[in-house]
Amino acid sequence: MKRQTMAKQKINGRASRVAPALDAGIVLSQAQQVTATAGVISRITEEVADGADQQGRTLDRAANGLNEMVTSLKDTAGQADSVAASTDEMVSSINEMAASIEQVTVNTSSLSELITRSTTAIQQGAAGIQHVTASSQEMATAAQQVSASISTMAGFIKSVSRDTESLTASVNETGAAVEELAGSVKEVSSSADDLAASAEQTSSSINEIAASIEEVGAMTERLVTAVEQNAASNEQMARSVQAVAQIGARITDVARDASVSSVQMERSIQSVANLARSAEEVSRRVSKDAEEGGATVQRSIQGISRMRESMVQGAAVMREMGKRTTDITSIVDTINLIAERTNLLSLNASIEAARAGDAGRGFAVVAEEIRNLADRSAKATADIAAIIRALQEVSQEAVTASNDGLRVADESGALAEAGAGGLRKILDGIAETVSLTGQIAVATAEQRTAGQSVSTAIAATAEQAKVIAASTAEQATGAAQIAQATGQMRKVAQEVTKAIGEQGRASRDIMKAASGTSRLAVQLRKATAEQAKSASEIAQANESMRRGAVATTKVLAQQSAAADEVVRAAESLTRLIQTVNKSVTEQAMASSDLAQTSGAMRQQGEQAAKALKEQSRAMKEMAASSSNTARQIKKITSTNRQLTQSAEAVQQEIAELRKVTERNAGGVRQTRSSTAELVRTADALTAVVNGLVKKPH
Amino acid sequence: MAAETYILFSVAATTYALRSHDVAHVEMIEQVTAVPNAAAFVDGVVFSRGVVVPALNLRARFGFERAPHGVSSRLIVVRHSGRTVGLVVDAAREFASIDAASIHPPAAALTGLSGRYLEGVANLGDRLVLVLNLEAILEFSDPVLEQHA
Repeated sequence: MKRQTMAKQKINGRASRVAPALDAGIVLSQAQQVTATAGVISRITEEVADGADQQGRTLDRAANGLNEMVTSLKDTAGQADSVAASTDEMVSSINEMAASIEQVTVNTSSLSELITRSTTAIQQGAAGIQHVTASSQEMATAAQQVSASISTMAGFIKSVSRDTESLTASVNETGAAVEELAGSVKEVSSSADDLAASAEQTSSSINEIAASIEEVGAMTERLVTAVEQNAASNEQMARSVQAVAQIGARITDVARDASVSSVQMERSIQSVANLARSAEEVSRRVSKDAEEGGATVQRSIQGISRMRESMVQGAAVMREMGKRTTDITSIVDTINLIAERTNLLSLNASIEAARAGDAGRGFAVVAEEIRNLADRSAKATADIAAIIRALQEVSQEAVTASNDGLRVADESGALAEAGAGGLRKILDGIAETVSLTGQIAVATAEQRTAGQSVSTAIAATAEQAKVIAASTAEQATGAAQIAQATGQMRKVAQEVTKAIGEQGRASRDIMKAASGTSRLAVQLRKATAEQAKSASEIAQANESMRRGAVATTKVLAQQSAAADEVVRAAESLTRLIQTVNKSVTEQAMASSDLAQTSGAMRQQGEQAAKALKEQSRAMKEMAASSSNTARQIKKITSTNRQLTQSAEAVQQEIAELRKVTERNAGGVRQTRSSTAELVRTADALTAVVNGLVKKPH
Repeated sequence: MAAETYILFSVAATTYALRSHDVAHVEMIEQVTAVPNAAAFVDGVVFSRGVVVPALNLRARFGFERAPHGVSSRLIVVRHSGRTVGLVVDAAREFASIDAASIHPPAAALTGLSGRYLEGVANLGDRLVLVLNLEAILEFSDPVLEQHA
């Protein structure tokens, strides 16, 4: 106000001294108009600056919201990853169980190979995670470097600020010396041109901002949709996880039953093994006995055959003897007959001698002696005959007995042969029994090993079921956390939408203000063109310039502060990266856990597991549920990716917005400076005019 | 004449004695020719030392069963009352002298039909010998015997 009054006085003074009062009045009025216009422009520019500030704040809010959302997203992604990891673990466990179940018929080595391969893959995965850790550490380093660079930049800004302050001083010094009207006018003109250009630039920037904001609005809508999708997928996943939990409980029951059965089986196998061992011992003993028996039977057979030969010989001898006794009998008969006849003769002789009386007495004696001899010989032959008869009887009996003996020997031989054959068969059978018993022992040993493996595998199955239960619980927790994060995301998305709406409103205000600026700039240009002839505003312009320099210093200070903020933001970024690092480390730990689990799985995989139909069916159901879960997780992951993409796009747009806003701010600054220049020039002009008016007095 | 000589012979395990004076000779039974209408105890006729002699079976005569002839079977040819008869016995091997005093009359229980043939019973050492009454034995009417008498 004071300046304006002074300008009026100056103009009035100049008009009364040099030029016709009309000219001075015109110049003064022009200067006043310019000053007024510049004031209006200044006000509008302030408004624009305010709007831009507001927009900047809104942008910050949006950016903060987005960052928050990105954090939530990362949270969600982390949860989804851990859920996916636990699902993977669970799927691996299920696969392991299925493999264990099939192992009764399928060779375990392929499974082991598979598990080994999966272990290798997990190790590779762990290596990948290590790699990721390294990358993320590099990223942290890079972020720290960025932070350092920004700090450097802030230093530069501060030094620029210092330079600007010294510039202000110079301007103050040189302000008084500026006398050239033409220069002032030119300056005014160029300032007005700059102003117009700046205003147009601002206008176009604002249009860009509006476009960007619309785009951001569209992105945000897409984001909201994605978030909704995420929520739906999450609910479905929660249902799947519950189904998995139920099936896991069922599998645990079945595994417990199977465990009891397998223990019983093992006991049975043990008793079978004991029985087989004792059977083998008995068989060996029986075999030895049977071999001894066989040798004995062979000896018996040989003895019987020798006996038979002897008997045949004996029988022949007996028959020969019988024949001889018959011969002897006939001889004895003859002797007996002779004896009888001798007796007869002696008897007749005795009869004759008796008839002869005394004359025959000697003869009678002889006859008697002859008769006695005959009687003795008859008696001897009778004895011989009796003996021969007895002998014949005995020999006949001996022949009969020998025949009987032969028959018995033949029968004995046949029986012994049959016995030997039977013994040979027994020996063969025992050999077979021994071999079979050995096989049984071997098979039982294998069975025992297999049975123990079955027990172990069943225990492993139970363990796996527990792991599944744990995984499911983890999944449930993860799902709940995802749901929470999604809710937060939803809220954040709503806030972002609101902020963007506000931004839109702010940008509309800016546009309105900017269009005002443009319009006024045009008017100013017209006014400046008219003012070209007058130089009264130059003095004012100088003052204005100084003030502008001060304002610039202030803005630079603000810039410096903003740079500090950026440094702080970079630091927080570094912190975030460290958090990511920590997450990755946790992931690496989880991966090593997985590798460990996989190692256990391999161990279990090497052990055979009993295949239970129900278990298998439950496994299938679980696999279906798990795959459903996995599908849901994939969906979540893909939605997350989409979300991330959208968020990134929004971030990009906001960055662009920021750029545009900065550019806008630059335009505004330029406008301000131009306006300031204008005001300064106008002041200088006014001063010059006043000087001109005063001097004639 | 206190002692007389006898021929000892056996029929059905019993020893009998005949006076050697009555015996013509003893011979083995070679062949007996059966004759029709002979008495039941007559086996037939035997050709002995040029004469045909009827063979009287003492087993049959004494009511014993007939036995086949053997090496010891004998035909004792006797002469009595002008009759020559052959007696078929189981054996005849001894010639003994027996005191008349040692010959006792047969026991009263043996009188009757069977006792008729015995003159007495003699003790010869530890043996009992039945002394035959040849006359009683030959006392029968037989056409064959009569014819050859």
